[in-house]
Amino acid sequence: MLRPFLEFARPYRGAYALGLVHLVLTNALSLAIPWLLGDAIRAMERGAEPELLAKYAGAMLLLALVQAWVRTLSRLRILGASRQIVYDMRNRFFAQLQRLDARFYDSQRTGDIMSRGVNDLQLLQSFYGPGVMNLLNTAIVYLAVLVLLLRIDAPLTFLAVSLFPLLYLAVNRLSKRVYARSLAVQEQLALISNRAQENLSGIQQVKIFAQEEREIRAFAELCAEFRLRNLSLARIRGAMVSLIGLASGLGTIVVLAVGGSHVIQGRIGFGDFVAYNAYLALLAWPTVALGWIVNVFQRGAGAMERLQEILRAAPAVPSPDVAPGAEIEPLDGDIEIRGLSFTYSGDGDPGRGRYSLENVSLSIPRGSRVALVGAVGSGKSTLVNLLARVYPAPAGTIFLGGVDINELPVERLRRSIGYVPQEAFLFSRSLRDNIALGNPGASDEEISRALGLSHLEGDLDLLPEGLATVVGERGFTLSGGQRQRATLARAALRAPRILILDDSLSSVDADTEKAILEELARQREGRTLLLISHRLSTLAGVDRIVVLERGRIVEDGTHAELLARGGLYARLFRRHLLEERLDAR
Amino acid sequence: MNDDVLGKAYDARLVRRLGSFVWPYRSLVSLSLLLLAATSAVQLTQPYLLKVAIDRFIGERRVQGFLVPVALYLLTLLSEFVLGFAQLYSLERTGQNVVLDIRKRVFAHIQRLPSSFFDATPVGRLMTRVTTDVESLNEAFTSGLVLILADLVKLAAIVVILLVMDWRLALVTFAIVPPMLLASWFVRIRVRDAYRRIRTLVARLNAFLQENVSGMRLVQLFLRERDHALEFEGLNREHRDAQLSGVFYESVFSAVAEFVGSVALAAIVWAGGSRLLDGAITFGTLVAFIEYAGRFFRPLQELSQRYTIMQAAMASSERIFALLDTPPSIVSPAAPHRIAGRLRGEIAFERVTFAYREGFPVLHDVSFRIRPGERVAVVGWTGSGKSTLIRLLVRLYDVQHGSVRLDGVDVREYDLHDLRRAVGVVLQDHFLFAGSVGANISLGDETIPPERVRRAAEAVGASEFLERLPRGFEEPVRERGSNFSVGEKQLLSFARALAFDPAVLVLDEATSSVDPAAEARIQSALEAILRGRTSIVIAHRLATIRSADRILVLHHGRLTEEGTHEELLRVPGGIYRALHALQSAPG
Repeated sequence: MLRPFLEFARPYRGAYALGLVHLVLTNALSLAIPWLLGDAIRAMERGAEPELLAKYAGAMLLLALVQAWVRTLSRLRILGASRQIVYDMRNRFFAQLQRLDARFYDSQRTGDIMSRGVNDLQLLQSFYGPGVMNLLNTAIVYLAVLVLLLRIDAPLTFLAVSLFPLLYLAVNRLSKRVYARSLAVQEQLALISNRAQENLSGIQQVKIFAQEEREIRAFAELCAEFRLRNLSLARIRGAMVSLIGLASGLGTIVVLAVGGSHVIQGRIGFGDFVAYNAYLALLAWPTVALGWIVNVFQRGAGAMERLQEILRAAPAVPSPDVAPGAEIEPLDGDIEIRGLSFTYSGDGDPGRGRYSLENVSLSIPRGSRVALVGAVGSGKSTLVNLLARVYPAPAGTIFLGGVDINELPVERLRRSIGYVPQEAFLFSRSLRDNIALGNPGASDEEISRALGLSHLEGDLDLLPEGLATVVGERGFTLSGGQRQRATLARAALRAPRILILDDSLSSVDADTEKAILEELARQREGRTLLLISHRLSTLAGVDRIVVLERGRIVEDGTHAELLARGGLYARLFRRHLLEERLDAR
Repeated sequence: MNDDVLGKAYDARLVRRLGSFVWPYRSLVSLSLLLLAATSAVQLTQPYLLKVAIDRFIGERRVQGFLVPVALYLLTLLSEFVLGFAQLYSLERTGQNVVLDIRKRVFAHIQRLPSSFFDATPVGRLMTRVTTDVESLNEAFTSGLVLILADLVKLAAIVVILLVMDWRLALVTFAIVPPMLLASWFVRIRVRDAYRRIRTLVARLNAFLQENVSGMRLVQLFLRERDHALEFEGLNREHRDAQLSGVFYESVFSAVAEFVGSVALAAIVWAGGSRLLDGAITFGTLVAFIEYAGRFFRPLQELSQRYTIMQAAMASSERIFALLDTPPSIVSPAAPHRIAGRLRGEIAFERVTFAYREGFPVLHDVSFRIRPGERVAVVGWTGSGKSTLIRLLVRLYDVQHGSVRLDGVDVREYDLHDLRRAVGVVLQDHFLFAGSVGANISLGDETIPPERVRRAAEAVGASEFLERLPRGFEEPVRERGSNFSVGEKQLLSFARALAFDPAVLVLDEATSSVDPAAEARIQSALEAILRGRTSIVIAHRLATIRSADRILVLHHGRLTEEGTHEELLRVPGGIYRALHALQSAPG
């Protein structure tokens, strides 16, 4: 439980130790000030010289200055360490995310991962920073103040302090509820955002179906609930704030009533009374803080638990450790698949889930152009995903250049394969950087060749800053076709031995797709080309067509052969030719 | 408008407009102010009671009557507890009420804005208006304006009290205000800037993280792990450094705050002690002075923070009002033509010209007429302007020249709501609204009985999968309809069209799917919904086109050909003929 906390804090134990020393020092100094105040009052009672008072005032000022300085240092040490720790954690977190594979990302929602990287790290920062600092501070202040108070007036001390456990309990319970209710408020705000987002992205439909009033009503309901939750939070928070004021005020009353009568009875002096009051005030804040600290520690423990879940997850496909600039000999493009069966449920137990691929054998010599055809869910994407080792393939089933891909270093494999996935994902950076994702050092000439291949040159003029235009979610919005062609250029730029297009030109118009594919076929230079497309008409130029149905290969041959056979491919092809070409451009 | 710029903390024009939102809650506001005044008054009597207790009883060593000031002090504490709570709550309530009204107003206004507005405005910006900007107004209510006012009143009261108690000592205490104020403001501004910087960097860091989580597969496939890790570390380092500088200024600020208290204490000990020795003031006054001084410096140091909150609120309200001032350009006319009963279903486009962007017309002088009950298919390349026909018919956009008529009446003369209810629309992108499946068919219209919803679902063949759902027609639709397949969504939107039984149906047909069984289902569902009404089908399937009474061919925004399948095939060099020829060509 405690081990991960200590592990991350270890490099900064020096800072914490120094912080502790400073805390002790600053508290000693701040305790000396009421002491001096008491002395000054006693001197006034004796009717001392004004010069003596000036000396007291001067001493107080000096102490205050040093105390403030040391206090600052203590905070810098401890809070600073917490920032360093969270910095380390965040780097570790990110590095771990990079190691994890598609299996992990399939099972986790982006929102959950983000919540760990954002909220949980924030909670841990509170743990390592203000949490630890206030814990130490409270312990020191309590120890010292209690000793001093007991020296002045023991019975009074017991009375005045008797309220504090109650204060601690109240703050602890209330702040727990404040936390729960502010979470509820946050959740509702998220609902409101989601609802607004959904409405705004579908605003055309809202208008067409005249749903404005219903949408407004539904939104208003969410907002009304938000108001209620906020008010419920305000009640509990208001109660806590008021209670803290009340509790520390009650301490003053005890001192006033009991301490006052002790003065009247002559048991303590007036200077003691004033100093006492000042000491008691010093206890109020640490007591409040204690109630809060306990919650911070509990939340921190939960956050650490969730973070560890990610940090402990093991990738099924080990991530490559890429040495920068290392020369890696590319594989040649022969692909050999032998008896491959695969299921996403993780193990080969046929009872658990349907096989996505079943006993697939396929031999693709280097330089050939092969299309994979089949309905949605027939296993085409699974097959290419396994080739690129996005998912781990069973041993002894897939061979590249004669070597089992599980035995190839992952970086060598990935450097040899250009994979253009279905979803055209662009990062929020310049178009050039997006295209040069795999070859940051690409020359302008290479870039322009890749642009030419993917028919993107003409689009550059439409972009505000050409290749330098920032695209992606937070940049200039490209059309679906432009995005897809950019991802193709990205893959082509690496001049891979094997190029895989996983239905990656579906938003590009049919003429352009055909031209691009023809161009790819022409300049293949020994490159193996694997195509998946739902537009069968664009596939006519490939050497060979492999038809998949429910994870099995059902047909394999050239376009003409398969047409002549009159099987599944012929049926699919006729339908698409008739219907898709009519309008899909 | 830039979302990050902060300007004035007070703008009379904006405050007046905000005032109009507060006006309905004026009694609640008055109550809050009253409670604030009462709380402050109670708080300020406490040091005075301390003074009385010390001077009259403790200093005089007198027991008799000592309990009176103690009991009074207890009373002030209890009233402070109750009043303080009531004040916090009533203020929050005011803020929440006002913010609820504003949020609803903003959202409702957005719903009425024309499609052209959404073409030009990113969704993210509108989201900021509805969420962040409204929240920052809330903060202005609960911790801004009212509290600034309250603090100023409290400060003035303390100044008066101190001057009355002993003006010489008061002046000495006030003398330390300017330098201390200066020092704490100086640091406060740096704290604020540091936090602003942290917020920006956190946003960048998280955006980078989010993007990498979504695109992790690409990062790995393209072997970018090392580079992206380095980039992340760089951002993380920048963020950490901003955090450290925030920690630094924050620490300095709290030290300064603590130090200010000590300086006041020392000043009072020195100057007050001398006055005490001269016999000018009592011990009680001295103690009360120390107490008052403590309550004096805190609000002064908080003023700068409140100032920042007000600045943010002013910027937000400026943006919100700019949005509310955007006129909804497509609205019902002043004396709208209401649609009672069923339309005959006659559609006429008369010399319609339309451009989304000035100078780039997508429809040129398009005229055609559709008789009641006629089925018309529209074909043409993407970008030929087919979808625009639908948008003009239901007034998502208004024509620039010419007119669109429905039953002989210009669509711009109908009541907008009536028009959109009377024309059934099925789009390619089958959108589901939040709510139940049933409500997605009836669209929440209570005049449509559940029985009709059921029959509509049955007629399009949707009842099969609906019955399999755990809660049947009550099954909730998850965000963006993610719990339904594309085919299921398609059937639901067909059922929706059928349930409304519109006289006119416009249908943007989806391109065919690969699954032959689904194809057959959809084909028969299509037949079911098109029967017995006027329809315009933007057609992709040959079967649909052939079953049309008439085919319109759009080319580059012009109506180039018109007729039946056979007629159009005979047009030499015709577009339709070319389209059809392409189908038969072997790739």
